[in-house]
Amino acid sequence: MLWFERQVVSTLMSPTLDAGTRSAVESYVATTLHSMPEHLRAGVAAESIVLGSRSWLEHRVGRFDPHALPARLDRWRSSKIDPIRQYVRLLHSLVLFAENEFAAGAGGSM
Amino acid sequence: MKPPRETVQTDVLIIGSGAGGAVTAAALARAGRTVMVLEEGPWVDPDALEPFSLEEMVAKYRHGGSCAALGRPAIAYAEGRCVGGSTEINSGLYHRLPPELAEEWQRDYRIDEFTTDALDGYAGRIEAELGVSRLPGAPPASSAVLERGAAKLGWRSVEFSRVFRYESNGLAVKQTMARTLLPAATEAGAQVVADCRVAKLVRDGRRVVGAACEQTMPDGSTRELFVRADHVFVCAGATQTPALLQRSGIRRNIGRGLKMHPTVKIAARFNSPIDHGDVPMHRVTEFAPGLTIGGSASRRGHVALALADSDADYADALAHWEHVAVYYAAIRSEGSGRVLALPGARSPLVTYNLTEGDMSRLARALVHLGEVLLAAGATELYPSVTGGGVARGPDDLVQWWDALTRNAANLMTVHLTSTVRIGENRERTGADSFGRVWGYDNLRVNDASLLPEAPGVNPQGPIMAVVARNTDQFLTEA
Ligand SMILES: Cc1cc2nc3c(=O)[nH]c(=O)nc-3n(C[C@H](O)[C@H](O)[C@H](O)COP(=O)(O)OP(=O)(O)OC[C@H]3O[C@@H](n4cnc5c(N)ncnc54)[C@H](O)[C@@H]3O)c2cc1C
Repeated sequence: MLWFERQVVSTLMSPTLDAGTRSAVESYVATTLHSMPEHLRAGVAAESIVLGSRSWLEHRVGRFDPHALPARLDRWRSSKIDPIRQYVRLLHSLVLFAENEFAAGAGGSM
Repeated sequence: MKPPRETVQTDVLIIGSGAGGAVTAAALARAGRTVMVLEEGPWVDPDALEPFSLEEMVAKYRHGGSCAALGRPAIAYAEGRCVGGSTEINSGLYHRLPPELAEEWQRDYRIDEFTTDALDGYAGRIEAELGVSRLPGAPPASSAVLERGAAKLGWRSVEFSRVFRYESNGLAVKQTMARTLLPAATEAGAQVVADCRVAKLVRDGRRVVGAACEQTMPDGSTRELFVRADHVFVCAGATQTPALLQRSGIRRNIGRGLKMHPTVKIAARFNSPIDHGDVPMHRVTEFAPGLTIGGSASRRGHVALALADSDADYADALAHWEHVAVYYAAIRSEGSGRVLALPGARSPLVTYNLTEGDMSRLARALVHLGEVLLAAGATELYPSVTGGGVARGPDDLVQWWDALTRNAANLMTVHLTSTVRIGENRERTGADSFGRVWGYDNLRVNDASLLPEAPGVNPQGPIMAVVARNTDQFLTEA
């Protein structure tokens, strides 16, 4: 998983998750991205590089502020540009699925 | 350094162990043929993992379940990748091929000896062997929702049979291929090799002489294997079969004509808790086979995804997820797609184009699904349409007609077919009436790829019947 993808995943996770679950969710997202078809993974990686370039530069000079990311993700989520919207949607879906599946009783009690 | 390539010999080589491969293997092994089945995915004990769970997705789904056909909109799809193929992860809902489709396909693709009587004969045998049956007793609440909603609207609904056996203690056991026909094939002498991916078929004129494979060993290392065979059946599923043929230089009418059942979903909230362990067996068949309505896997993870697809505020609904279940409406699409092996890549590019007609059928499907759920007592409906708006009463459904656009629709499918197609109409098909690939004497396809069109019903039953018929014909010939 690329540096920026890790930041996005961490931002999308529910803040109430404990450290163990956070790491399990991150590892699930990494495994799933890794096993995607090559052309889809290449597309996601390319978007991560383009969309994350500013954050990465900020990170290199010690100025990256993770608290600024949620607002940016919100903007991208409703972007008019389909691939940008789909980028956030994909990572959000993976995070959401994993954090809910790792919750106790995910299969239901009835 | 990779160890040198080992060569083994068999009479019949079957590539893929899912619905198509397992039926083929059991029939041929029982007929006394020497059979080897190669399966790319691992062996996973069918009892080891909870159905539809994250662990199951990681272990048994191709690409961990994260895959999409590109197009506007892209359509997410899922396929199995393990011993037993997609039968290990499917819901086991069972249907025979509707007679009107058998007639239509026979006529349009000029398929020899493709009659409903013949197909039903094969279907009957498979049903008897696997144990296709209805739930003994009352359906669970999630299924009764569909029956109740349809009854209120005066629409038809049916409880579908499933490829399940019900034990005397009430336990429901899905009759996957890893549990049934693959052990039967092994007992009759077939060899099933897991973790063995066929990279390419090796050809010599009109014959395929064998398959070049990569086998993953228990310690994670890989070895190259060459399997020589007198006859080859490719049963790798609707995306992988055409990809393998193309990688092997076989391209005529291969990979075109992909069909699927594009699906929209609704997360429906009810006043009381609803079951989440199984998939509803009822279907609303009022508009079938063009449009069918049913229920999906609704574990907490699926509920969360379905709620999020609407892009509405779903926090409260997710907090009460045990009151929420996911339902779907699927259409028979007039659009089509393509599978294209990319040089140097393991996965093919899959594309699909929905027509304008498909888009309006999907909008209609979504509205009908909403009507049934509201009639059944749902209090809030979250559609898989970004910005579609939550519906709380029939008047709210009207907005969905315009909301379901190419930009906003979040679609998926688990039914993919028709990437080779059978029939004597050589303009439109990749294989003859019994699945023999045009131009090759000993190469056959025997899986979902062969169906000339999407069946409009759950495809496993039609696939198995066609595959059993083709295998029988092979035995009379070779
Ligand atoms: C989640 C889900 C739910 C479904 N629910 C239903 C349902 O309720 N009812 C129904 O009728 N249908 C259902 N289906 C569809 C049904 O399971 C499939 O249509 C059917 O299994 C297809 O059969 P097949 O033999 O063509 O392919 P598969 O069953 O997918 O088998 C193909 C096998 O080939 C292997 N393979 C691929 N490439 C290679 C290679 N190069 N080398 C070696 N092996 C290879 C794959 O790993 C796979 O195991 C569902 C499918 C899914 C994914």
